[in-house]
Amino acid sequence: MRIRTLAFSIAGLLLAGIGPVTSVQAQSAKTIAGGFDVGPGGFPKNFNPLVATGGYTWLSTYFEPLVIFNAGLTEIEGDLAKDYKISDDQLSYTFNLVNETWHDGNPFTSKDVKFTLELAKNKASGSLFAARLANIASVEAPDDRTVVVKLSKPNGSLLSILSQLMILPEHALAALPPESLATSTWWSTTPVGTGPFKFNRYVTDQYVELAADDDYRGGRPKVDVLINRYFESPAAAVAALRAGEIQFTYVEPDDAGSFKTDSNFKVIEGASYVVNYIGLNQKVDLFKDIRVRQAIMYAIDRNAIIDSLYSGAAKPANCGYVAPHLVPEGLEPYAYDPAKAKALLTEAGWDKLNGDKPITLLTYYGSPQAANVMAAIQSMLAEVGINVVPRVVDTPTYNGIVYKEGTPDWAAFPMVYAGLQNGPNPAGLNPGLNKSQIPPAGFNTMRIEFDDLSTALDAALGQTDPAKLDQSWQEVCKVMNKDLPWATLWVANRYGVASNKLRDFVWTPAPGGGPYAAHPERWDIQ
Amino acid sequence: MLSFIARRSATGLLMLVALSVLIFILLRLAPGDPIDAYINPSVPMSASDLEGLRERLGLDRPLPVQYLAWLGAALSGDFGFSIQRSGVAVLPLVMERIGPTALLMGTGLAIAIVLGISAGIFSAVRRNAPSDIALSVLSFVGISSPAFLTALLGLYFFSVLLRWAPSGGMQTAGAPFSTTDVLAHLILPACLLSIGHAALIMRYMRASLLEVLNQDYVRTARAKGVREFWVIIKHATRNALLPVITLIGSTVGIAIGGAIFLESVFNWPGMGLLLVNAVGTRDYPVIMGATLVIGVCVILVNLLTDVVYAVVDPRIQVA
Repeated sequence: MRIRTLAFSIAGLLLAGIGPVTSVQAQSAKTIAGGFDVGPGGFPKNFNPLVATGGYTWLSTYFEPLVIFNAGLTEIEGDLAKDYKISDDQLSYTFNLVNETWHDGNPFTSKDVKFTLELAKNKASGSLFAARLANIASVEAPDDRTVVVKLSKPNGSLLSILSQLMILPEHALAALPPESLATSTWWSTTPVGTGPFKFNRYVTDQYVELAADDDYRGGRPKVDVLINRYFESPAAAVAALRAGEIQFTYVEPDDAGSFKTDSNFKVIEGASYVVNYIGLNQKVDLFKDIRVRQAIMYAIDRNAIIDSLYSGAAKPANCGYVAPHLVPEGLEPYAYDPAKAKALLTEAGWDKLNGDKPITLLTYYGSPQAANVMAAIQSMLAEVGINVVPRVVDTPTYNGIVYKEGTPDWAAFPMVYAGLQNGPNPAGLNPGLNKSQIPPAGFNTMRIEFDDLSTALDAALGQTDPAKLDQSWQEVCKVMNKDLPWATLWVANRYGVASNKLRDFVWTPAPGGGPYAAHPERWDIQ
Repeated sequence: MLSFIARRSATGLLMLVALSVLIFILLRLAPGDPIDAYINPSVPMSASDLEGLRERLGLDRPLPVQYLAWLGAALSGDFGFSIQRSGVAVLPLVMERIGPTALLMGTGLAIAIVLGISAGIFSAVRRNAPSDIALSVLSFVGISSPAFLTALLGLYFFSVLLRWAPSGGMQTAGAPFSTTDVLAHLILPACLLSIGHAALIMRYMRASLLEVLNQDYVRTARAKGVREFWVIIKHATRNALLPVITLIGSTVGIAIGGAIFLESVFNWPGMGLLLVNAVGTRDYPVIMGATLVIGVCVILVNLLTDVVYAVVDPRIQVA
């Protein structure tokens, strides 16, 4: 009898477990849940904006920067600064601040901006902004609503950098030693921001929950709760989206195709602002001859790859840029021409230089699409006599190999298949190409030391006349097209999928997740 | 006996130190460190800033200094902070994951045992009948199905298509904690985890029972007029269970492996997901802490087993 009772109890418990799936999810509070940190723009489980290398789509729902890109990523507009003025000599930036309160009720003032900028410049805080803000000579707060930033030399990228710097509350953080911030739990337990949503709770490694800020200057958010769920892979997020558990996530291109015919979802497509390229390690003798680099460009049928593997959703890149205002007339198109590639290799003495010895093509891209791209490139290069062997590793391994200071194992990365942010700020390419940026100074992991390219980049970075800025970056494009520091491939589109229940939802596949003016306070759900 | 326990405990401690040295060295030999995991290769940044962060976290110090600093703190119960989680302490992080893994693994194995033994008995009793053949085919399919396939197919059919169970996590995001909610999230991964084990247990149970059913004492029981049901349950099954129990013991280790994979697919917040995440992001303190906690568990279980053996079987010399 007792066994029977026990059996019924267990069965009842299990059935009760299945039953309430929908009832538990049907919460009374208006809630939007999404995988906001899924994909290349995300930075899951990071809460400290000073060390963020992505995840700005989510961070900017409860923190805010001084200025921010618009949703189209075409221009920078005010956020916590209602407007700003730049002096003629480009050395002084004056920001007029909005009236806002922190989520804990304290007033937001210019002292918070000064505190944040000085903290971000201070390496002791672990900030990843220190080098990029090094030319800030002083930050003044003449009154509560005005901030004046003075530079030691003009920096055309300053506003773009500031758009990623989330303003932090002085009253909450000033008492903490900067050295303790990198390991402080404040970020994931009691952070205080000025954004439309305020931090509610973090369930470790599962999700973050925000609540609407009733006093937000842009009006109270239309939904009560915003949830960011963490997923181990985009595929798991897609399953949750299809199951109706979340209303938005980034998706891989293959998945995007399957959503296009489903009327319950809306596919959001946009340029990735990441140029994909084959990096050619200049510390390896194989790629010092320009004819070898040209041969690689002619050997790869980029249009065929774009058509077949990207379904046409990519633009071929003949330099680091594809945005029309940055690409000058008269570039060499490097149209697919295997015969020309073979002739160039013969001229360069490829047989003696390497012949058919295998060359590692290293990448951190682990998606099935990237595997197909690598296989196509391998096959096309084999056609002209370059024997590459793809090697896929995880991101830390890749960075550990290519970033290593001193004398890394050059043979471990003679060629890489990688990508670098080329917009919305075109200066994004500088760290990867300028000879002044060779590690440990910067990001030039292919150790490119081309004088004319560095000169063009320096000139564009130092350009103080806004009218001549595009022309300066076009010059960089021209030199890249001629010198081929990389074999540039394409700029592909990226995708997000949103439930059709969402209203006024804005998402852009911005590099690092933006930030951009997504106005989460306007998001609504039916 | 006390001196035996003391000696085994001392050996266990030495093994833990050796384990910590081994893991520490292996981690440092692997390419990439926690700061390399910070870098988004598509987003330019200054390597000197990264060096500053590396310095901030003490990763620039000589390896022996790093290890001794970690060991000193660990001996006082401080396993440090998760590098990738803005200073979340490692020990509570690891300890809170033991429960979910035990829950998933325990439920999965319990389902497997009940299903496997029942199906094994049924199959053996109806040897060569269509139902036996059908169950045998099903068991072979279960044994041959890799965990990743069953997990993904199960996720697709039961969560995405049928919506019978949530697609992941241990509780509904944003909802208050409730046991029924946890059970709803548990049932699908636990059932999927049980498939392979249930199939294996069924095969063993069937073979073992068939062998026992031919024994003389079973025939004697039948000759005495004992009803067939009780012959099978009371006389045959009890003896046939012995090799199956040995098998169940050995499958616990395999179940841990399966649970790790399922935890990743279903985002179940257990030790497996924690370790997979930590390895992927080179979160050294978490990897060290989690490995050591697992090491302590294994050493304790071994010690307990030795002690129980010594108590049960006096022939084993422990002095």
